[in-house]
Amino acid sequence: MFATLASGFEMFLTPLAVGLTFMGILIGMLVGALPGLGPLMGIVLLLPFAIGMPPLAGMGFLIAIFVGGSCGGSVSAILLRIPGTPLAAATLLDGYPMAKKGRAADAIGIALAASALGGIAGGVVLIMASPTLARFASSFGPPEYTMLAITGLFTISLISEGTLVKGLMACAFGLLLSTVGTDEFSTGFRFTFDNPNLMNGFHIVAVVVGLFAVSEMAFQVMGSDLLSSPTIQKVQPGLGSFVRVLRHWPNLLRSSGIGVFFGSLPGAGGDISSFSAYGVAKAFSGSHENYGTGEEGGVVATEAANNATVGGALVPTLALGIPGDASSAMLLGAMLILGFVPGPLMFVQEPGFVGGIFLVYMLSNVFLLVAGIIAAPLFIRVLSIPKAYLIPAILILCCIGTFALQASVFDLLVMFAFGLVGMLFRLTGYPLSPVVLGLILGPILESNLRRSLLISREGYWIFLDRPVASALVVLNVLILTGLLVSSLRRMKKARGGKRALNP
Amino acid sequence: MRTTIKGLLAAVVISATTLGVARAEFPERTVELVHPWGPGNAMSVSQIIAKAMGEELGENMPVISVPGAAGTKGQIMAMERPADGYTVFDGYVAPLLLQPILGNADWDFRDFKPLHAAVSNAFAIGGRADETRWSSFEGMMEYGKENPGALRYSSGTRNNLPHMVIAKVLQSYGVVAQNVPYTQDGNAVKDLKSGILDFSFVNVGDYKADPAAFEILLVMSELPGAKASYDDAPAITDLELDLNLSGLGPMGWTWWIVHPDTPEDVTATLRDAMETAMKRPDVQEAIERVGFVPLEWDHTQYEEILSSVQSQLEAMGNALIWEEEQLHSLDR
Repeated sequence: MFATLASGFEMFLTPLAVGLTFMGILIGMLVGALPGLGPLMGIVLLLPFAIGMPPLAGMGFLIAIFVGGSCGGSVSAILLRIPGTPLAAATLLDGYPMAKKGRAADAIGIALAASALGGIAGGVVLIMASPTLARFASSFGPPEYTMLAITGLFTISLISEGTLVKGLMACAFGLLLSTVGTDEFSTGFRFTFDNPNLMNGFHIVAVVVGLFAVSEMAFQVMGSDLLSSPTIQKVQPGLGSFVRVLRHWPNLLRSSGIGVFFGSLPGAGGDISSFSAYGVAKAFSGSHENYGTGEEGGVVATEAANNATVGGALVPTLALGIPGDASSAMLLGAMLILGFVPGPLMFVQEPGFVGGIFLVYMLSNVFLLVAGIIAAPLFIRVLSIPKAYLIPAILILCCIGTFALQASVFDLLVMFAFGLVGMLFRLTGYPLSPVVLGLILGPILESNLRRSLLISREGYWIFLDRPVASALVVLNVLILTGLLVSSLRRMKKARGGKRALNP
Repeated sequence: MRTTIKGLLAAVVISATTLGVARAEFPERTVELVHPWGPGNAMSVSQIIAKAMGEELGENMPVISVPGAAGTKGQIMAMERPADGYTVFDGYVAPLLLQPILGNADWDFRDFKPLHAAVSNAFAIGGRADETRWSSFEGMMEYGKENPGALRYSSGTRNNLPHMVIAKVLQSYGVVAQNVPYTQDGNAVKDLKSGILDFSFVNVGDYKADPAAFEILLVMSELPGAKASYDDAPAITDLELDLNLSGLGPMGWTWWIVHPDTPEDVTATLRDAMETAMKRPDVQEAIERVGFVPLEWDHTQYEEILSSVQSQLEAMGNALIWEEEQLHSLDR
């Protein structure tokens, strides 16, 4: 563990890597604070630029955006009662009442300090747990990876917004997209229509920028508040907030633990962990009746939890190559483009890179506190910029970034086409995150399934012959059963409700 | 009228001068090397040569990875770019020679202008050090003959050069084994070590990283340097069987090429820069550290050497079909 960390210093200690980590925090906080964007969008928008940089500097930039974006939403939640991201939805429960009582600066300071400390706690778990998990997983073969990919697909479809069926259908769409290109097993072309641009499938960055960013901007353009500029009070949080947060140390540790736990589960994200941590903090608090009226403990719990989630989410992403959520799926995609294949082998072959990732993650959280406190007035000012200026700027960024990937006009067309697909998904209530997971996990699932069957001398029994694979089969069956039972119950309840309304 | 003619003349003169200056100053901007594989040892080696060649040219030479379709995607992309010398293709044997032989590409290696040979990389067939079922390559072949279809092996991706060569060796022994494709560097070796595969192609880099884990059964090269890289393990020359493989035939290699319409003076500049880079001791040492062998052939030897490899590969061509047919007949 320490050897991995030490070997990371050489790659990490460069002005570019450190500078980009700092920039990433600022950009992350910015996209987190702006309603409708968030860490995933930040990663999507800046991915084309990050993959043109040296690997660790590029990853430091993206991880810092993930960290900053997971905290930035609290600024708009506290000041405007609009969570910049769903991650900060629980923060407004006590953050906004604090602001109303004239303690906005305290609330933002506490949110920043709790996020940074929660993130560091998540980082400690990441540094300790991921090498152990990678070592354990080094004997995993194609059957185990097949089952892990299925677990990832089930859980993300389960927890994403919208109905279960829609989640699974979106996931299946992502899987279908992942089949475009050359079939590496037969070297035949699938759905390429003799177009050399499609020989390697769609470029994942062009697809996600279109699905998420272009469609979101299209919806924002249709809004009625393009020129409105909310008036926001000026606040300047101070370092004293750090001491205030430390006074809540049991709550801080507990909430960080909850965040790491939910982060490491495939599919569960920061929003679930922050609401859970809030509930637990309230239950444990001596003054639980004050929760919801501007209690510092509420902000500490939610913000510590949603940033600790980032550290937790990176554990399966780095150690197994199976992403925990859509944001870590994008980080995994970036690592693949940069030439690093997350999984147990990366810990053996590229310890310097893994150690560097640990270090940029820890530094991001330190920067979060420092940059957050210094630059908070700037983020607050950005909140008052009308969308009429922000939307074109973001769209230009999308176009430049996507074109720069391979200097390809085809990628731009793909981006706009998937922008339309994203709009259709949003209009019909289909979640977008499962598409990304399907697109990234699709090749992992397909190649490992086909490889398992080629290796097996007894067909599908290979999945039950190996202990870890069979345990994962049981887990997947349990998840699927739970999924079916809960949706049947929901359907029954909905029917019962309708009958009660129309007797 | 006179003014128009004067204007036209001026335009012609200016264009000609500009073109002349542009030619004289080649390269004026970065020259890109299109590499047909994803990141890994092969790309690192190409980066070493490209960096040195860029230093000779006085411009950076970034390596652009365009993997896919057994290397043909990169070659198609590189050849679709303007024939101005600013795009060089890392002509690996798989896209340049093998895929046309397999009917997956419609070009001939003579369609392109060669710069200079770059590197070759020998590979070996390796098993686990703790294997108890056999202790030599011949022993494994006997096991394979007694148990048709039971052996599992990987050559990395499918239909690549190691796959063709291993299939040829297996065909010579009459052994039917199942090829399991792996797209990421290192995963096949990982699964060999953990007992999922029975044998695998092992490159020098993988072997040097953990020699105690492998029993190198057969080095797929007749070159003494390749045998030495695997600590004098048995090589194809030690077999009683004549596989008709010599020179670059059983090995991976790359010969950098440019579009056939690239102007002669530009091609000459690129050739000179690459030749100088390849002769530099620092470049040769860096290449050898990764386990690859720098090649010294210049463009004049391109046709002669590649023709010989082409005929060897064509003769091996039926090994892949044979493997597939044998496996199908076992399924039935």
